[in-house]
Amino acid sequence: MLALAPDAASQKAATGVSSPGKWSALGVTPEVLWGECKGSGSKPYRACVDLSEPAYRCSCPSRKFPCKHSLGLLLLWSADGVPAAEEPADWVAEWLDQRRDRALKQASRLTAAQEAAVRETAAQRGAPAGTAGPDGRAHGDDGDGAAGSGGPGGSGRPDRRAQQREQRVTAGLSELERWLADQIAQGVAGARQTGPADWDAIAKRMVDAQAPGVAGMFTRLSGVLREEEWPGRLLGEYALVHLLAVAHRRTAELPSALGDVVRSRIGFPLARETVLASPAVRDRWDVIGSRDEEQDRLIARRVWLRGRETGRAALVLSFAPVGQALDASLVSGTTVDADLAFYPGSAPLRALVARRHGAVQAGPPPGLSAARIPGLLAGVLAGDPWTESWPVVLSGVVPANDGGWLLADPGPLDSGPLDSGPLDSGPDLVPEVSGLRLDSSIGTPWRLLAVSGGHPVTVACEWTPRGLRPLTTWDEEGKVVVL
Amino acid sequence: MTTTRHDRDSATGTAEWEDLVSAALVGTDRRPLPGGPSVAPPVDLLEQAAVRVIRARAGQRPHRGRPLPPAPPETRPLVGRGAGDRLARILAGEQGRLLAEWLEIAAGSGVRVPARLVPRLLDLGARDQSIRAHLGVLAGTRGRWLAGLNPAWSYLQEEPTDGHAGSADVWEFGTSGDRRAFLAALRATDPAAARELLVAGWGKETPEDRAAFTQILAEGLTMADEPFLEDALDDRRREVRQAAADLLTRLPESRLGTRMAGRAARLLTRDGDRLRATAPQACDSTMERDGVRARPPSGTGNRGWWLQQVIAHTPLSFWTGHLGRSPAEITAMEVGDWAREVRMGWTRAAILQRDVLWARALIEVEPLTDLLAILPPAEQSRMAAEFVRRHPVDGQMIMMLGGIPRPWGVPLAKAVLEKIAATSTAQPWNASELARLAGERFDPSAYEQVARLRDLPEVHEVSATLRFRYDMARELAADGTTETRADTRAGGLAGGSAAGLAERRTDDGHGTAATETGGPLDEEDK
Repeated sequence: MLALAPDAASQKAATGVSSPGKWSALGVTPEVLWGECKGSGSKPYRACVDLSEPAYRCSCPSRKFPCKHSLGLLLLWSADGVPAAEEPADWVAEWLDQRRDRALKQASRLTAAQEAAVRETAAQRGAPAGTAGPDGRAHGDDGDGAAGSGGPGGSGRPDRRAQQREQRVTAGLSELERWLADQIAQGVAGARQTGPADWDAIAKRMVDAQAPGVAGMFTRLSGVLREEEWPGRLLGEYALVHLLAVAHRRTAELPSALGDVVRSRIGFPLARETVLASPAVRDRWDVIGSRDEEQDRLIARRVWLRGRETGRAALVLSFAPVGQALDASLVSGTTVDADLAFYPGSAPLRALVARRHGAVQAGPPPGLSAARIPGLLAGVLAGDPWTESWPVVLSGVVPANDGGWLLADPGPLDSGPLDSGPLDSGPDLVPEVSGLRLDSSIGTPWRLLAVSGGHPVTVACEWTPRGLRPLTTWDEEGKVVVL
Repeated sequence: MTTTRHDRDSATGTAEWEDLVSAALVGTDRRPLPGGPSVAPPVDLLEQAAVRVIRARAGQRPHRGRPLPPAPPETRPLVGRGAGDRLARILAGEQGRLLAEWLEIAAGSGVRVPARLVPRLLDLGARDQSIRAHLGVLAGTRGRWLAGLNPAWSYLQEEPTDGHAGSADVWEFGTSGDRRAFLAALRATDPAAARELLVAGWGKETPEDRAAFTQILAEGLTMADEPFLEDALDDRRREVRQAAADLLTRLPESRLGTRMAGRAARLLTRDGDRLRATAPQACDSTMERDGVRARPPSGTGNRGWWLQQVIAHTPLSFWTGHLGRSPAEITAMEVGDWAREVRMGWTRAAILQRDVLWARALIEVEPLTDLLAILPPAEQSRMAAEFVRRHPVDGQMIMMLGGIPRPWGVPLAKAVLEKIAATSTAQPWNASELARLAGERFDPSAYEQVARLRDLPEVHEVSATLRFRYDMARELAADGTTETRADTRAGGLAGGSAAGLAERRTDDGHGTAATETGGPLDEEDK
C-alpha cells in the first residue's frame, strides 16, 4: 500500500493519520473508499480513493499526491478499519460523476482525433509515396510529455514553425557530422581532459538546434570516461551519433517507419493527440517494472509493460518537477486491461495509455527462456539500432555465476556454439548452464538470489547493451518483488 | 572457467575492432585507416565502427556459468502476509525502532520471513549483534544458503536454528548456536547432566564456545559446579576464566568465595558507625586468577581499581556477617577514602550476583538501570515510577528508562504519561523523547486508552506507536504457532507481551478488550 506514496515522508505521515480516531464518516463500496479526517483546521478534510484505478482526491491543500490523508485512508481500509456502505456519500458520488464526465469527454475527443487521422491518411494515399517533399506526417509542435494538449497543426503558422525546425536540425546535425569527423581525424586520446567541456558545448548547441535527443546523447557521454575501456566505448557512442546524423540527412531514402525512429531519436516532438489517434493495441498489460530518474530538477518515470496476448513491450513515460507527485496509476506487479497507443517507429516501444478498461488479477507474467532473448533483441535492434533499453521477461531462469552473474536456463547444455571458450567442467562441479549476463555495475543481485534460492524464477529485466538489469521478480507466494 | 570479463561484446572484442579504436585514439590524420586508402578516412572509420557496434549488440550470445546449488526446502511456515508486509514497512523506515520487537515475537512463534526481506535483515544483523539470534530462526534455510554466499553474513551459521531442540545429534553436529541452545535447555531440566556433558568434551571445544558454555551454567548454579568452575580459572582463554570467576562469586562457600572474602576482610572494616577502606598495594597472580583485572581502564588509578575489583568479586553475603549490619544499613554508612570505589564494587557485585536485597539498597543511593534490572518486574516498575515522579526529566532519567525492558508495568506507564503531559509545553524535546520510549515500552493494548487520556501531540504519538505494536503482535499471533517461550528465553519479560495479546484475542475474538471502558492501565492497578 505504501508503495503508492510519493516519498518516505509521506509514508510516515500516512501512518500517522491511519488511526481510526482521526476519521469519521468512513465508508467503502467495491468502487470507492472515503472518509473525513480531522486536520488542524475546523473543517475536516474529505478524502476519497477510486479503487478501480487507483485515483485520489482530498480537500487538503497538500501538493503531494497522493496526500497523506488518501494514503492513511487506504492503510486504515487495508487494516479492515472502514465499514462497508451501500451507497457512496453525496460528495463522493459527485466526484465520481465528475470523473466519469471527464473520461467521456476525453474518449469523445479521442474518437474525433482518430477519425481526423483516418481522413488525413486517406488524403495522403493520393499523393505519391516516398518523394523527397516535406514530411506530411502530423507532428505537433507542443511539448513532448504528459502536459501536451495543443491540437495537431492545421493552420499555416505551425507549418512554418515546423519548417524552421527542420532547417535548424539539419544545420545543427551537419555541423555535428563535421565535428565528429574532426575528432576522429585528430584522435580522441585527449577526451579525458577536454571531453566533458566539449560535450557540454555540443549538448547546448544541439538544444539550440532543436535536437534535444542528440543533446541527451552528449550529456550522458561523460559516464563513459569512468570505464576502463573508455576509448572503445567512446568510439561506439560517436559512431552511433554519426549514424543518426547521416540517417537524418538521408531520411528520404529510409523506410517510413525507420524515419520515424530517426526523428524520435533526434527529438522531434509528437503531439499526444497524434499518437492517440493511431490504432490502439488492447491487451492485458503486465506492469513489469519502473524506474525514476532525475535530470535537471525533473523526474522522469519510466514504466515498462508487457502484453499477455500480443507479447509486445511498452514504455510509458511521465514527468514531474522534483518534489511533486508522479503518475502513480501503473503499479509494478499489477496487470491492466488497457488500450495502448504506440509512438510510431520500426521498433515501437514508447506508448500512451489511451484507455483503461480495468485491473485484472493475472499472477506473474509469462516470459521467455534466456536462450530466446538474443533473437528477440536482434529483431529490436534491426528496427532501431539506437535502442539502449528494452524490457524483457525471463521465466524459469536460475541465477548462475561466471565471475559475474547470469540469468540462465536450467538444465544441461547441449553442445551448441558458445563464445566463452572451451568447456572445462571438472568432475566434481555442477554442470554448466547457459544464460545472459547481468549488468556488472549493479553488483550482486542479493534480493533476486534470495527470492530464487537457486530455483527457477520469473524475472523482468531491462535489457541494456551492458547486460540485463533486473527489475522485478515473483516469489513463492506469487507476490511481486521489486529488485 | 576461461571466460574473462572483457568478452561482453563479442564482435567488438576482435582485432579489427581494436585497430579501429587505436586509429580513433591517435587520429586518422596520423594513422591510416585499416583496410586500405579512403576518400574520407574519419567518416569511413565512424561508419565501420557503427556497423560493428550494432552487430555486437544484436549478436550477443549466451554465456556459460555455474548455477548455484539450490537452497534446501524450508522447515518453518512462512509468516502471514500482513505480518510480512508490516516487516517490510518497518525495514523501509516506518517505526524502524520496533524491528527488534517484531523479530523477537516472530522468532518466538517459529515462523520464517519472506525471502525477499532476508538480505536486508542479514545486512542489519551484520551490524547489530542483538538481532542475530532471532535471524537464526527467521531467515530460514534460505538465510543460511545466502549466508554461505556472502562472507559478511557468515555469522548466521553460528546462530541457533531452534529447529532440532530435542534431537541428540545437535550436540555432536549442530551449529555452535544450536549447541548453546541445546546445552541451555538441558541445563534447565537437568543441571548435573548438562555439566557432565560439558566436562566430557571440554578439551575439544573452541575458546569461544568454552566461554559461552561457561556462562550457560549460570542457570541452576550450585556447589556441585564448583570444582569444574575452579578448574576453569586456569583456562587458556581470558573470557573463560572471567566467566568462571563471575559465577563462583555467587557461591559464598566456593574456594574462590572464601579467598575473596579473606582479601575483602582486610580491605574494608567497620569503625563504629563508619567504614574504613584501604586499597591493595599490589595485584598478585592469585588475585588475577580469581578474576581481578590487573590493568585498570585508562583514567582509573591502579589501587582504586583493584579495591573495586576485589569488592566486586566478593560474595555479598560475606558483608552482613563481617560488618554486622543489613545491606541497607551498610550502603548508607559513611566511607572515608575510596568511597566511590567501594560503592562501584558493591554495585558490580549486586549485578554479577543478581542480589535483589543489595540492588534495592544501592538503588536508594543511585538509580542505575543495571540495578533495577535485577528486581522483579513489578518492583522495577514501581521504583522507576517513583523516580520519574520525583525528578525532572534529564539525561539520567532517559537513560534509566531506556534500560527498562518492555512491557512497562502500570505504575511506570502512568508516571511517564503524567511526565509527558507536564513537560509537553515547557520542554517539548524531553516530552517527545519520553513519548518515544513510552510508545516502545507500554503494553500495546493500551493504545485506545492512552489516546483518550490527553489531547497532546506527544500522547497521540504514543498511542500511534502502541497501535502499531498492537496490530503487529496481533498479526504475528494470528500465525497460529504461538508457543510461549518466555520461560526459556533469557529476558523472560519480552515474550509475555505477545502471549498476553494472544490470550486477550481468544476472549472476544478481536482483541478489542482494551477498547471498552477499562483497559490495561486500570486493570492491574489494584
